[in-house]
Amino acid sequence: MKTAAANKKIRSRRTLSKNDRFTLAAFIGIPTLMQIIFLWLPALITIVLSFTYWNGINVGDIKWAGIANYKNIFFGTPVFYEALKNNAIWLLWFTFIATPLGILLAYQIDRKIKGHKLYETVFYIPVVLSLAIIGIIWNFMFQPGGFIQGIMGRDIGNAISIWGNYDINTYVIMGVASWRHIGYIMLLYLAGLKSVDSSLREASAIDGATEWQTFRKIVLPAMRPVNIIIVVITIIESLRAFDLVYIIYGTSTAWPLLNILVFQNFAGQGISMKGAAYAVILLVLCVGPILLYLRAVFKEDLK
Amino acid sequence: MTTIVRDKKYRDKQKRKDNLISIFIGFFALVWIFPILWTVWTSLRPYNDIISYGVFSWPKNLNFDNYFNAFRQMGLTRYFLNTLYVTVPAVLLTLFLGSLIAFVVSRYSFKFNLSLLLLFTAGNMLPIVLTYIPVFWLYIKIGDLFGNRSLLYNNYLGIILVHVAFQVGFATFVLSSYMKTVPKEISESAIVDGASVFRHYWNVMLPLLRPPLAALGVLMSCWIYNDFFWALILMSQDSKRPVTSALRQLQGEYVTDFNLLAAGAVIVAAPTVILFFVLRKQFVSGLTLGSTKG
Amino acid sequence: MSDTEKGISRRSVLKGAAVGGIGLAAGGSLLAGCAKSKVTGDINFTIRGNLSDAGSKIAIAVNDAYTAKSGNKVISQAVNSDDFQNNFVQIMQGTPDDAFGWMAGWRTNARADAGLLADLSDQVAALGSSLSAAAVQGATNPADGKQYIIPTTYYPWGLHYRKSTMTELGLNPESIATWDDLIKLCEATQKKGLVGYALGDKGGWEAMGTFDILNMRLNGYQFHIDLLNGKEQWTDPKVVEVFNYMGQLIPFMNKNVLDISWDGMRDLLLQKKCGAMMMGSWFANDFLAKSQEDYDDLWIVPFPEINPEHGVDSIDAPLDGIAVAANGKNVEGGKELAEFWGSKEGIDAAVAAGDTNIYISSEFDSSSYDAFNNQKLAVLGAAKNIGFFLDRDTRGDFAGPVVGPAIQSFLKNPKDLTKILDNTQAQWDALPAL
Repeated sequence: MKTAAANKKIRSRRTLSKNDRFTLAAFIGIPTLMQIIFLWLPALITIVLSFTYWNGINVGDIKWAGIANYKNIFFGTPVFYEALKNNAIWLLWFTFIATPLGILLAYQIDRKIKGHKLYETVFYIPVVLSLAIIGIIWNFMFQPGGFIQGIMGRDIGNAISIWGNYDINTYVIMGVASWRHIGYIMLLYLAGLKSVDSSLREASAIDGATEWQTFRKIVLPAMRPVNIIIVVITIIESLRAFDLVYIIYGTSTAWPLLNILVFQNFAGQGISMKGAAYAVILLVLCVGPILLYLRAVFKEDLK
Repeated sequence: MTTIVRDKKYRDKQKRKDNLISIFIGFFALVWIFPILWTVWTSLRPYNDIISYGVFSWPKNLNFDNYFNAFRQMGLTRYFLNTLYVTVPAVLLTLFLGSLIAFVVSRYSFKFNLSLLLLFTAGNMLPIVLTYIPVFWLYIKIGDLFGNRSLLYNNYLGIILVHVAFQVGFATFVLSSYMKTVPKEISESAIVDGASVFRHYWNVMLPLLRPPLAALGVLMSCWIYNDFFWALILMSQDSKRPVTSALRQLQGEYVTDFNLLAAGAVIVAAPTVILFFVLRKQFVSGLTLGSTKG
Repeated sequence: MSDTEKGISRRSVLKGAAVGGIGLAAGGSLLAGCAKSKVTGDINFTIRGNLSDAGSKIAIAVNDAYTAKSGNKVISQAVNSDDFQNNFVQIMQGTPDDAFGWMAGWRTNARADAGLLADLSDQVAALGSSLSAAAVQGATNPADGKQYIIPTTYYPWGLHYRKSTMTELGLNPESIATWDDLIKLCEATQKKGLVGYALGDKGGWEAMGTFDILNMRLNGYQFHIDLLNGKEQWTDPKVVEVFNYMGQLIPFMNKNVLDISWDGMRDLLLQKKCGAMMMGSWFANDFLAKSQEDYDDLWIVPFPEINPEHGVDSIDAPLDGIAVAANGKNVEGGKELAEFWGSKEGIDAAVAAGDTNIYISSEFDSSSYDAFNNQKLAVLGAAKNIGFFLDRDTRGDFAGPVVGPAIQSFLKNPKDLTKILDNTQAQWDALPAL
């Protein structure tokens, strides 16, 4: 009896009927095909195109360019370095200011201080808003004739420049981006904190450790998997930054970012494959964080 | 004795610190929500008031006129319908396809399982700008193949497919993580009972996936609803655009009447905010499953 | 690409329009007895802008007039102008509307070379002598001698101001004849608390108007066109001088130059917050939409002379018109609609709807021009050479991505001029052959 059942099990596991094989093939094939056609194939096309000269219209016009586009970008386009600088500022700000604030907020809210439910909601709302709406909201705040200008008593004629003032516009943009990012990090961390054994924390408190010490020595190490995720998300969001700046500045590179440069060159009045090259540079920068993420998340499977 | 006294002193001190922290964060929260409050406030005031009396004047009228006008003048109903046509199929298709891969990868041991998972998860993180121009060309070429340029370009189907392609990785990852927690015995008994792969999936696994599917459904609806970029590239007709993309056109139209625009923004923001309030648990669990593993 | 031939022919544009009469016959022939089949079916039209703009209302009025005449329905949609232009190549290859408002120059000719636009030579010929030879020349693609756009309106770029403001300040802009006069005007305006020289360059292109006119004044029209076509160097001391002059204007500009776009500039003038504003006159429709008073208060004078060798002989006067997509669903319908826009009935419909622009067609009776339009003609008439504006006179992958940011960088940091010019030249050298 037992042997027969066991044999049947083994047989079932080893031999799949033709129908089953077909089903499995379909199950795997359809989504994979979709991914390849709509995601990986276009990405590949972009990579190949970055080595050509083309104006985006007639396929017959494509000419091989070798690394000319890249040479142009690295040696002949100062706005590229400005964009890199801005992406770097974005990254640094997110890493050292926005993300830590999110983590801190999460920690405090998790301790169930007074009003924590309300706070959790308030800080998270910007995350569920479309960036198109965030753009409108902040334009209201800053536009000539808007709230901030109004507070300073300036109307449209003598409104001080915000988006065009290079001393302050970076901070303003970072502030608005953080407005959203902090809530996102906060919620991710909150979710992770729930998995930290609370008895560990209580024990540490009884032992006389301050909250800060508890956080550093107990919570942070226990949250290692989440920490890695947070780091990767922070990096990737800084590299992918686009929507907000696009809404404020359009495609003019008044405050350049890598993504804006891609758009300006890949679309627009004069299409050039420099845009593809920018996209590839962006991809190369993202590869590191993506691999880090994959390794962290699939650690056990990879072993 | 002294320990208790020391504990109490410590607890009181901690409580006072906590109250301070709470107030501090509370102030922070007020600053946080202020821009939204300001926008809502702006939307409740008629434009003429602002023109005549200035932005900070005490309100003479507070009404919902701007909201009625927004619906009427901005054609929001049509744009909302467009959003629906795009979001619902995209979410359903993403969840369905994601569950297929997750199912195979976690229930059957093929050599390529891990590679597949890696491929899908990485796909989710690619920068969009890497693909959008070739996607446009592909759509035109595929359309020409079938004799109809509008098969994918300037068509809901095109936007749906591209959203699915970008989101299915995340769905796959979350669902496969979750499926690992489903006991293998359930599957084994189904196989022993002679269930086909399809029955295994449809009748056995799928019902068990309700929690993560719900969570993912909420998250994806929010993300796809909020996207405005793809429609800008892939829809040449403004009347087919989802409501978030339409906002850009409206922003230009009503840039001088910002009270009307504020009302429009509030209306467009409402669905996701309400979704968040009502289904917060699903939201959080979706992110949890996606960010932390097991 | 461009050459003196284009320059000479555009020069005649003024003469023809200013006189208000028939210009030189355009290639002569009326459409030789070609029996055209009746065009049927809906026609899709794209308006660049917002439905609430004055321009859109005018467009819809003209389309309605066409429908009344031909019985074909015209479906108009308004699209954000920047989005339309940024995605133009994609839209034209995809499912474009049949006809749309467009701009003559590189933007038409290059796209025509790529096969995206429909040939409108027949329609231009059908409009016959109402279009002067110069008008036709302006619409012609030098690569194949055909026309791909029906020219309709054009406008000068000049110093705009409000008569009332100037009177209040006790100043007379009509009397500025030299650069020093302009500076004095700006200083006086500034002293009274207004912006002397309004500029908004957030879009990256607005300041090109200032660059163009300074270059044309200092170095002449030929140098300007040659520079835009790579025959002169951006590092040339002549170009440095242009920027030096622009630098002299910076103290008189509003502080938020990089924060506002052209509509912010317009608003500064509308709200009486500035003195002179260097812009194209197309925005006058918005003034009229605000009130007749505001429109009547508007005035324009040519940018003053700087170099006596060139006087005030050149000006930017972009030519706009209607183009037809080669991939539209109803190409013949689009062509017919485009021709209608250029015909007397089309122009009459536009004017009736409140269009204050100057039409290049001689069908438009310039004796009915109001004071402002006559002044525009006078400004145009003073010039011998016409440019279409920097971003229409040179390659699209150079104007927007390179020159725009270069000028913005200069406005940000005038001290970086040498670096900026070196790089601009390097970028031009690195452009792939067309």
